[in-house]
Amino acid sequence: MPACPSQRGCLVALLDCRLTNTKYHTTTREGKNDKWLDAYHDPVASIYTFTQCLTLSDIQADGDWKLIVADLGTGTYDMKLKVYKNTTLMSEHTIIDLPTGVVTFYMDTLEPRTPAIAVASGPYIYVYKNLRPYFKFTLPPLNIHPLEEDLWNQAKDDQVNVYSMREMLENLRQEGCSLTVRSLRLLQLEAGHVEGFVNLHKHTPLKKQTVITCLDTMKKSVADEDAISCLVLGTESKSIYILDPEAFTVLATMDLPSVPVFISVNGMFDVDFRIVVSCRNGCVYTLKRGSKDVSKHMIELNSQPVGMARINKNIYVGCMDETLHCFTSKGKKLWTVRLPASITTLEIIDYKPRSFAAVLVALNNQEVHIYKEKFLVDIIKMDDIVTGLQFGRFGREDGTLVMTTKRGGLFVKILKRTAKFEERALSAGPPVAQNQKLNVPKKTKLFVDQTQRERENAVVMHRTFQRDLAQLRLKVMREYVKALDNSMNPISSDPMEPLKLSAHVQGIGPTFKFTVKLQNTSLSQASSNLLVTFDYDNKLYDFRKKMIQVPMLVPGLTYNFETFVDCLNDKGVTENVKVYVLKQGKSVPLITGVVSMPVSESIVVV
Amino acid sequence: MGFFDSLAQWLGVKKKEVNVLVVGLDNSGKSTIINHFKPPELKNHEIVPTVGFNVEKFKSKALAFTALDMSGQGRYRNLWEQYYKECDGIIFVIDSSDKLRMVVAKDELDLLLQHAELKDKRIPILFFANKMDARDSVSSVKCSHLMGLETLRDKPWHICASNALTGDGLHEGVDWLTDQLKDVLEKKSRKK
Repeated sequence: MPACPSQRGCLVALLDCRLTNTKYHTTTREGKNDKWLDAYHDPVASIYTFTQCLTLSDIQADGDWKLIVADLGTGTYDMKLKVYKNTTLMSEHTIIDLPTGVVTFYMDTLEPRTPAIAVASGPYIYVYKNLRPYFKFTLPPLNIHPLEEDLWNQAKDDQVNVYSMREMLENLRQEGCSLTVRSLRLLQLEAGHVEGFVNLHKHTPLKKQTVITCLDTMKKSVADEDAISCLVLGTESKSIYILDPEAFTVLATMDLPSVPVFISVNGMFDVDFRIVVSCRNGCVYTLKRGSKDVSKHMIELNSQPVGMARINKNIYVGCMDETLHCFTSKGKKLWTVRLPASITTLEIIDYKPRSFAAVLVALNNQEVHIYKEKFLVDIIKMDDIVTGLQFGRFGREDGTLVMTTKRGGLFVKILKRTAKFEERALSAGPPVAQNQKLNVPKKTKLFVDQTQRERENAVVMHRTFQRDLAQLRLKVMREYVKALDNSMNPISSDPMEPLKLSAHVQGIGPTFKFTVKLQNTSLSQASSNLLVTFDYDNKLYDFRKKMIQVPMLVPGLTYNFETFVDCLNDKGVTENVKVYVLKQGKSVPLITGVVSMPVSESIVVV
Repeated sequence: MGFFDSLAQWLGVKKKEVNVLVVGLDNSGKSTIINHFKPPELKNHEIVPTVGFNVEKFKSKALAFTALDMSGQGRYRNLWEQYYKECDGIIFVIDSSDKLRMVVAKDELDLLLQHAELKDKRIPILFFANKMDARDSVSSVKCSHLMGLETLRDKPWHICASNALTGDGLHEGVDWLTDQLKDVLEKKSRKK
């Protein structure tokens, strides 16, 4: 075995290699055409970081690109800047505060062309050159609220009671003034600790500092790969700073309506540039050189952004509501894709040798989706939720994807030389038939004339139609009232005698079975003294029972009354038969049913 | 072959000629290995990344080699398969210190083995686990495991750790290849 930093490291590396190897074997044996080679696999690398804190760069100018990671550790301690050469940890530096971004940039024109590493952390930018601390840049302090400053000055000379001071600070905070970190800490303390805190800090001058939220680079005046770059950073105080890389002075500042969280820069500082920033208020702003108007190309999102990337002129934004949007640089929305789970991070693939550009979207369901335009071209399934993504050159390989996971794993995948991303959508899109043109015949003269007429006489036609409709309704209502008056309908409208009638005719003739069904539809009231009789043409039909006595009707039950009917005519003539339900002592029937009789078969004499 | 050629060969003055293909990823040391076999007056002092391929000739104790030194860069790797047809042996060079790209080397080897021209051809393959002097290099055994060579059964193969800068291990490998190729050539001539 070659020399290794530690025996344990050796073992782990060995184990991992074996793991990778066996895993690879299984995939090939299954015959799965995977687009990615599993180059490195360490689920216990204990790297806790995000996309913004990962970068790949040739920091030693030897053609062997290193992975630079700002490790967030536990969030309170163990923050480290780690540099990986190949798969081994090459160097490690402790960072004092939580890192918010890492970039590499060329800050001079010296040979060999080694870029510097910039780590944003709190209000500072730490610059490392040749893997050694080189410079610390502090953001200019902000203006302190005069009253707050006054209070602390008084405290210094013991002219104010600490408790009344605390109260006044609390009032200031409630008025919405932004306070210094020291005052905010004072407000958080319990009453017993206040005095000690004030005594400890009152002699040091009060400073108000902001925190860097995002970091990017911009070439200064030449577009070369190794040209000098400026640092572009967004802060918690809603502004963007552009720093000069040689003198570390602020070249430009720009103000935003909200706190920037993701930043993407293109162009050159001395020529023309665009800075696209997505902010905490759910808006994406575009800043241009020499333009102060930030709201011109503003994009309003439906939800808060969780990742932003830019390919050429298109801006891709992932939102908290599980959607991926694409906008033009002018702010016009091109498309939206709904994702199966919430997004954790977003990164672009810009693989120049194959001129392949796509967006990588890491999801909460342990998958990484690759979108080329709006088409899903590949899914990488992982064993853990991916939180950091970086695609680029690592070691000597151009198409390398570095992933860090929630549980601290580090995974490296290499794009296969033979991998092909098919552009058709894996997900269901509109069917192909939708794009086929239908053979619609040309408009005829008649159609045109008709349309013309309709257009000219629209009002008259509408009125005519409305009048006819009203007349139709009137006629219907009249008939209905008439039917009610004559009890011509089969359901009784009399509240005293709620009855329902239906009648059936069975048989093919000349003798039919005639069934009358009666139901008392009331809840509690019984009906009595009812008769059923029939109205018919006695030349045509003969009812064997001319009249049926109806017993008392119990509510809810259906009663059947049957009679036979003989058809007297064999010429195929039919007529309607009316069924009346009568009440003794009333001349008007309670209800009436009309039954159309079927055509009778003639008597067959055998 | 003329009478004098046969005579010369029989006497061992003129050696039999074989074609070998030298492949492997970029920066694995293919050109440096070939450079080592060249006579001192023809040696290059500066090895630069190969573009396309170079044709080099060198001699071992029994054979005259014509080596096609292929470029290993990604964009030239599709050239390799153009020469599979006419080669008698393959030298596959692996950078044993580049653990990250071992899978890429394996992928390229799999593509090579599955290629229609080589699939059914019993062609000897010599692996050089190069850069054995590098600090974080892996042993030749480990290397053959990572490359999945134990599954390679239908072709004679051999792996040896090498250092192309000093020449360690190179002759061992080429001697093996010479023996293999001599067998193949004898079989061929017997068939004739």
